[in-house]
Amino acid sequence: MSMNRSVDFSQPQRQSLPGILVMFANSLQKTVRALWPMLLIWLVKFDSLNKLIFFGSIAGVVIIIGVISYLQYLFFTFHIDEENNEFVIQKGVFNKTRITIQLHKIQQVNINQSLIQRLVGVHKLEIDTAGSDKKEASISAISHDLATILKERLINHSQQETIADSEKVAIEESPTSFIKIGLLSLVKIGFTSNYIKSFALIFVFFTTIIENLQQLNTDVINEDEVTNYLDALPNITSFMIVVGIFIVLILIVNLIRTILKYFDFTIQKSKQAIVLSYGLLSTKNTLLNPNKVQKIKITQNYFQKELDVTTIGVHQASSDVEKVKEKDQIEVPGCSANERDIILNLLLNQLPEKGKKYSPNWRKFAVNTFFLLVLPVLISITINFKLHFVTWNEWMIYTSFFVIFAIVLIWFSFKNYKLFVSNDFIIKQNGAWDIDTTIIEPYKIQAIETQQFFWQKTTNIGSVTLSTAGGNISFSTGNYTEIKNLVNYWLYQVETSDKNWM
Amino acid sequence: MNEFTNNPIDINQLPKFEEVQLKGLNPKYITVLLFNFSLLLILVIGGFSTLFYFKEEAFSNTIWMAIVVGIVLFLAGLVVFTKFSFQKKGYAFREHDAIYKSGLISETTTIIPFNRVQHVALHQGFISRKLGLASIELFTAGGSSSDLEIPGLLLADAQLIKNLVSQKINPPKQDEPIEIASTETPLTDEHE
Repeated sequence: MSMNRSVDFSQPQRQSLPGILVMFANSLQKTVRALWPMLLIWLVKFDSLNKLIFFGSIAGVVIIIGVISYLQYLFFTFHIDEENNEFVIQKGVFNKTRITIQLHKIQQVNINQSLIQRLVGVHKLEIDTAGSDKKEASISAISHDLATILKERLINHSQQETIADSEKVAIEESPTSFIKIGLLSLVKIGFTSNYIKSFALIFVFFTTIIENLQQLNTDVINEDEVTNYLDALPNITSFMIVVGIFIVLILIVNLIRTILKYFDFTIQKSKQAIVLSYGLLSTKNTLLNPNKVQKIKITQNYFQKELDVTTIGVHQASSDVEKVKEKDQIEVPGCSANERDIILNLLLNQLPEKGKKYSPNWRKFAVNTFFLLVLPVLISITINFKLHFVTWNEWMIYTSFFVIFAIVLIWFSFKNYKLFVSNDFIIKQNGAWDIDTTIIEPYKIQAIETQQFFWQKTTNIGSVTLSTAGGNISFSTGNYTEIKNLVNYWLYQVETSDKNWM
Repeated sequence: MNEFTNNPIDINQLPKFEEVQLKGLNPKYITVLLFNFSLLLILVIGGFSTLFYFKEEAFSNTIWMAIVVGIVLFLAGLVVFTKFSFQKKGYAFREHDAIYKSGLISETTTIIPFNRVQHVALHQGFISRKLGLASIELFTAGGSSSDLEIPGLLLADAQLIKNLVSQKINPPKQDEPIEIASTETPLTDEHE
């Protein structure tokens, strides 16, 4: 590369000028996000508002944000302190912050672009450091040329300091693109997963709006009208309408969320680490270190199987012992079977073989049926007997819906509940609709716990829980003798292994 | 270097954790258990006594009697339960791992290999200190659910165990194999 290497980073530098726009957009986004229920109500009530106050206050907020952004730009500088071998960032309008990063601690330097940065033509430079250093350093607006030179400087420095391994630097220069998840796969995943999460989101959304409306005492939506309309229809029809609206909403929200979050999902391999980058509005960058991976969870339901998409969750050992960081839990959405195998190969160096199969005792099915089917039905009988919510005919209809639904779910969750054990892998499979396949390697086990209720002694049933630094895996209601044999085997594997679990 | 062997492993020949003879906790630990329960009991009895003192007519005489009988039965049950659950608790240290078993209704056995222990801690509660007891906690990277705590040990035993485990997890001078051989003898010594 014959780039201009004469840039002097020892003097404090500002970001590139268009960066003001980036900061402005970021602040604006934050403000809108904080105030969206208010804004929504204002828009609905637009006619009855005093236009002068409305536009005046909006203009005021925008100007304030603009001034703050300019000041932020003015006070943000970065430079390399050659004497102390540190990278220094100084920022803050009122609260001055000085971030110093020792060059030899720098693990990775990422250059990426969000939508706004793409429009303005600047890049973001992020620095990943080793250890539990909580300071995250990033420069949010820098030209691509400058970013490349700075990256080179930073990495060269860190390499010189730690290892005199100049060959690795050369490889580091050009990360190879590995896997790219296309839009179509994201659409497929968006339509077929995370129903419950999106339901919760929609629920929160509606309750927030309703709460805000009630506070303002408005009658934008006439509640009585809606209830009257629904009351006029037969019970089942109104039920179906509500359910239908919810399903459509859930699908739309799912789709938007998935695409916003995972747009342009790219996996790149460089040096020792694997870098994931994704996101439409804001690009996220995550480091994935195969040595740190403790648990891998592959999720797929029937639709996704037909569409050949699957989600892979990668749980890394947390750098923070107290709480699991979001950064350490990575999801790869919408891979095909082929891409899944490539990723597994990358993380485990081989494809996990399933090995010997262990099934739960039939009593697991019986217990689940009792608690999830018989008990709820009995409770509903008692309640309806006392309070007469619905007529007994209607009760029959609802109950039979529930019984069919529950029995199918319980049966499939029993049928799918399996443990596979081979020499190198422990694989647990469970789930009624979304089927999870969780993979761990025996030498990464931290602790083993076996458990048995006293009434399970005569039937020789028991459970086992394996803890890893990335989460637990457990198998319940299995043959206790078999479980104990497995535990002895796993203990043998852990205690004789000299492989580093991290 | 030893001669290289690679024989197949017979799973049935492996050492069995379930057959290890567990060592019971110190009998004084029952006092600690009972004391913990008695705090709760004192609250309950105190509550009813105050009610009886200030507002005797709140319940009829038969119900008051029933409450007294109930408390006595509960107390008796608690003592019996504590005794039995104490008998269920036990621990063992093998060459490569620590085992702790407990639970009357649900019997739980936790095993932690020494090569996964991050650090060891010795705790002493207020009552334990009066009785000369202590507990040992082994921490792993597997989060709080996989930590192992052995309560009701004599302080001297607890200190011995702590030293034993600390030595196991930090073998002095890892790089020099000769050094390990010389320091290994005290590690395998059984403490009593």
